[in-house]
Amino acid sequence: MNRAIYINDAAILNAAGSECADLLGAPLNAQPLAFDARRQAFALPTPRLPGDLFDRKIQRSVEPQGLRLLHCAARLAPALAALDLPPARIALTAAIPEVDAPSPCWDAVQAIIEQPHKQLAQLLANTPPLHALTLLNSSVMAYVAEALNCHGPMGGFCSQDNAGLDALIEACQQIGEQNAEAALVVSSSPNLTPALYLREPGLASEPVFGEGAAALLLSSTPSQDATQTLRIAGFARGYSADPQRAEAVGRRVIDQALSREKLCLGDVGRIVGNPDDPQLNELFAASSQALGSTRGMTGELGASGLLTEVALSLHHARQSAATPGYTLLVSHTRAGHWGALLLASETMEKHA
Amino acid sequence: MSETRIVITGLGAVTGFGFEWQTLWEKMLGAEHCVRPWQPDDVPDGAFAVRYAAPVDMSLLPEKLQGHPAWTTPLEKRSRFGWVAATQAVADSGLALEQLRGAAVLCASGAPQHMLADMLLTEAPDGSAPGWQHLMPRCADVSAEGSLCQSNDRLARVIADDLGCEGPVINISSACAGASQAIGNAFQMIRRGEVKVALAGGADSVLNLDTMAALYLLGAASGEQRWGADLCRPFDRDRSGLIAGEGGGFVVLESLEHALARGATPYAEVLGFGSSLDAYKVTAPQPQGRGAALAMQAALDDAGLRAQQIDLINAHGTSTPLNDVAETLAIKQVFAEHKHYRALAVSANKSQFGHLIAAAGAPECIVTALACLNDLVTPTVNLHDADEQCDLDYCAGEAVSRRVDYALSNSFGFGGLNTSLALGKYREHGQ
Repeated sequence: MNRAIYINDAAILNAAGSECADLLGAPLNAQPLAFDARRQAFALPTPRLPGDLFDRKIQRSVEPQGLRLLHCAARLAPALAALDLPPARIALTAAIPEVDAPSPCWDAVQAIIEQPHKQLAQLLANTPPLHALTLLNSSVMAYVAEALNCHGPMGGFCSQDNAGLDALIEACQQIGEQNAEAALVVSSSPNLTPALYLREPGLASEPVFGEGAAALLLSSTPSQDATQTLRIAGFARGYSADPQRAEAVGRRVIDQALSREKLCLGDVGRIVGNPDDPQLNELFAASSQALGSTRGMTGELGASGLLTEVALSLHHARQSAATPGYTLLVSHTRAGHWGALLLASETMEKHA
Repeated sequence: MSETRIVITGLGAVTGFGFEWQTLWEKMLGAEHCVRPWQPDDVPDGAFAVRYAAPVDMSLLPEKLQGHPAWTTPLEKRSRFGWVAATQAVADSGLALEQLRGAAVLCASGAPQHMLADMLLTEAPDGSAPGWQHLMPRCADVSAEGSLCQSNDRLARVIADDLGCEGPVINISSACAGASQAIGNAFQMIRRGEVKVALAGGADSVLNLDTMAALYLLGAASGEQRWGADLCRPFDRDRSGLIAGEGGGFVVLESLEHALARGATPYAEVLGFGSSLDAYKVTAPQPQGRGAALAMQAALDDAGLRAQQIDLINAHGTSTPLNDVAETLAIKQVFAEHKHYRALAVSANKSQFGHLIAAAGAPECIVTALACLNDLVTPTVNLHDADEQCDLDYCAGEAVSRRVDYALSNSFGFGGLNTSLALGKYREHGQ
């Protein structure tokens, strides 16, 4: 990166609430799933979008996961507008889960069940005209871009939990290389559907999933009204599905993330990661730092999990009693992706 | 900006023309197309308005690829095509497995293959409304090759697992700009020093009833019958919508230093990448091509090129009424100085192998690289009567022999997600 990048604002939405302070409350209990009482998860009601930013048709036609993402993006609109940037200098990157369709087409499914010999006619008659846009998960990027007037560089990512880091890194690079002055990074967890449980059940143990979303506003200049800033100080990523190689790849990723600031693990004040991940625990076994995360409050939030943790780091950094220091966020997906993000909490005077 | 030069050293393409890039190139230079009559499975002939597409023809599968594990692994069709294309690209590059350990894999895998049969498993036993709760007791009957059992990033991971790649493994989702974004992001990752080698591209297949019905209802897919299989007519007055293709494409990118150290010969050099957002309407491009122009200009700036240096634009050219005019206007805007747009060759590959949706940018990047290598421009076929607003040189009808030092390859996604890749002829001593 050729210049400093700051996290200026954040918005979250999950079972704990919509404010970062909610993540610090008493742990919640997951509830039985509506479609499978044997399993528990942290479900969310579908949020209402602000009518002044989004057309009412969007509320009706977008999947709940997309609505959560738009809801968080909308809450960053005032902070983005306050930067007063030309639209072409605002980047937008997104981590978006795919749509497990045709779930928005229950009418079509019902009609075909009733008249299976008229499958095609029923499908065409009962599929909403904008259904293709619903299937197309990246259409939510278009809605955000239009509502928040982002014309600059873009990047859409749809992997597993690592997509949030991919979107964040892409935003950092666009600002770092001076293709943009600010970036919105938006993300959502997948909807709770059977697909979450049917896909690759052979992978490591099934987590308690949650629904949520998170959005961040990144900028090349720190927020004017903040006494403490949160700067992105390093990142790295890698992959291995081979259990024999996982630890080596994870260690390399962490070392790379720390290397930009020439740090070692002992310099980091706080480490965020899934304490239930045995390979993560192995990596940090020798560290005096305990792994912690908000998963107990929210469930596994997929692509929005890491950004939710970043939002909480921003909340911590903005507390009056906050002490400057580094936070290392480490993610390891069930599929084998590794990611590390280093954040530096600093006092404003340093940049004055 | 870094001085690292990034080159393309391996190509792999699976399209309606076949399973090898050489076939694709040869057929395209011969002004052929692979659009043919098509109907979704289980639909009576003629019942569905969309009757033409450019499907992959499995009868063209060469013997050497018949034993590829993609055909026997439970995967969606798109992932099979992509895996085969990726394998071909790696073989073409001459890279050994041990040289791929640190490599990144970036791919766009597009639309999940939703199985109507799976959805009918949501039927309520008592005749009440269907719902997911009715599917769970029947989940053993869910198709292992459908979207409910296959995550969107399956292709990226299956490639990485097969090749032992331990760099970033990234699945892209930016609609029809996906594969172009994958290649652009891979180029940037190498330039920034994150990796030395990357495998990037995409694969997609929307040739199923659920997705094609959705595209037809949206008004994107052409249901026109008048032109038979010559239906995909970018920039023509009688264009009527996109004609879907299927398949995949991958390129191997590496730093020039890495390529030369192992004795590889580059096909072309990647010089820049630009992206932008229309921020206009999700269903239509910005009419003046504002976002498309921003992406092309960003690619030029990133590459350090002047507009006057560009010889060829591999257009997004979807054959839809709105895109082709907006893209033409965007080109005229970016290349306005000295009316350079009059000197440009513009070619629309979709007229020959259809619209590969999320994967489209990959084979189109390959064709652009080959144009730079061979100084040959593939034609826009079926263009007989250009729209009065589409007044550039689209290389109508037959391939053109002309020098191509620098080229742009455009990919614009639904919702105004725009990308442009800047490629150049590989020169030993730099650009």
